[in-house]
Amino acid sequence: MNPQNGAGLSAADHELAGEYVLGTLDAAQRQAVQARLAEEPALQAAVMAWEERLLPLTDLAEPATPSAQLWWRIERSLNALAAPAPRPAPAPAPWWRNWHSLSLWRGLAAGGFATAAVLASVLVMREMAPPPATRFMVVLVAPDDKAPGWVVQAGTSSRIELIPLGSVEVPADKALQFWTKADGWSGPVSLGLVTPGQRLEVPAGKLPALQPNQLFELTLEPRTGSPTGKPTGPIRYIGRAVQVM
Amino acid sequence: MSSPSADFDYEATLAACAGGQRGALHALYEQEGPRLLGVVLRIVRDRALAEDIVHDACVNIWTRAAAFDPARGSARGWIYSVARNLALNAVRDGHREVAVDEDTAAALDARASLEAWHDMADAFAWQASAGRIAHCLEQLEPVRRNCVLHAYVDGFSHGEIARRLDAPLGTVKAWIKRSLAALRECMT
Repeated sequence: MNPQNGAGLSAADHELAGEYVLGTLDAAQRQAVQARLAEEPALQAAVMAWEERLLPLTDLAEPATPSAQLWWRIERSLNALAAPAPRPAPAPAPWWRNWHSLSLWRGLAAGGFATAAVLASVLVMREMAPPPATRFMVVLVAPDDKAPGWVVQAGTSSRIELIPLGSVEVPADKALQFWTKADGWSGPVSLGLVTPGQRLEVPAGKLPALQPNQLFELTLEPRTGSPTGKPTGPIRYIGRAVQVM
Repeated sequence: MSSPSADFDYEATLAACAGGQRGALHALYEQEGPRLLGVVLRIVRDRALAEDIVHDACVNIWTRAAAFDPARGSARGWIYSVARNLALNAVRDGHREVAVDEDTAAALDARASLEAWHDMADAFAWQASAGRIAHCLEQLEPVRRNCVLHAYVDGFSHGEIARRLDAPLGTVKAWIKRSLAALRECMT
């Protein structure tokens, strides 16, 4: 068998890897495993060993003939991926190269009153909690009307929390995806898909420490998330990290 | 249908994808498209969503092919893990729990599936590892074997399996944990 089949891993982690591949973990547990996989080669090896063990069972599903358009759609997506690479200039600049644009931040500043109100209320709540070392808070606002929609909180705990301030309409075939980018990063990093109206906890383990001014935003993406690993859809909410303590 | 891995070099195909050869991805799509769609459709049970996921899987395979490491596992296993992960993320993040009804579940009897699979296994020359999972599954009590198959093939959650088998949720969780431990021991 595979020499790297997760030797040295605890029985509980082998079991976790098995349940991950089997598919019985819920969304939060799946995200937790996916976060650990990036950093734990032994767990990764255990997952791959389970993939190999169970792979023959895929033959139990009856094959289905894809529609004629499916390959055409795939090709079109590959073309879209390939297009900006050789000549980036004529393509529309990705939003993360524009996010310091004056008009965007001028607009965001206009929404400052609402943002300040939310900040104040969150800060009041904060005072009841024991004071930690460094905390960051981000208010994500809609780019057009600057209405605050979400708050991001990150403290010394090992997770980032995205908290909804109200309900959000998302088309049935779309999903909101959560991204972040700090100065000096080559591009935004996905923090996962967001269920409208629901709190999202992201394990911070695989991210470097938060920085002041770090950008966060939610973009509208296909239902299963951006196929390219970078934002492809319009920005719905955007904001920058503010150090609050 | 021909044996999945008989004449097709999955590893070389991924290497060609990593090298930017569009024809390699098309060959892979021709080879595995219907099986990938079948696996994903069984999990998400929605034709349009299943095609969306196969689309995303192919784009992912294309963009991530260079990250595939043959020292860690088979190329075919990697391809299916990409597609199954997208499908499982979609159903676990979504609200499918409420959409599973008994009529759908009744069509997916795991024991019938295992028998059908046996017929296929008899008809083709399976690799040793395929024979091993069959052998090891047979060592499990039928109800525990069904838990494993409902989870892997049908993408059922613990709750869905409990409803399907009319068993308490805690019992189903314990069955699956013990089945996984037994399978790992049997297959190592």
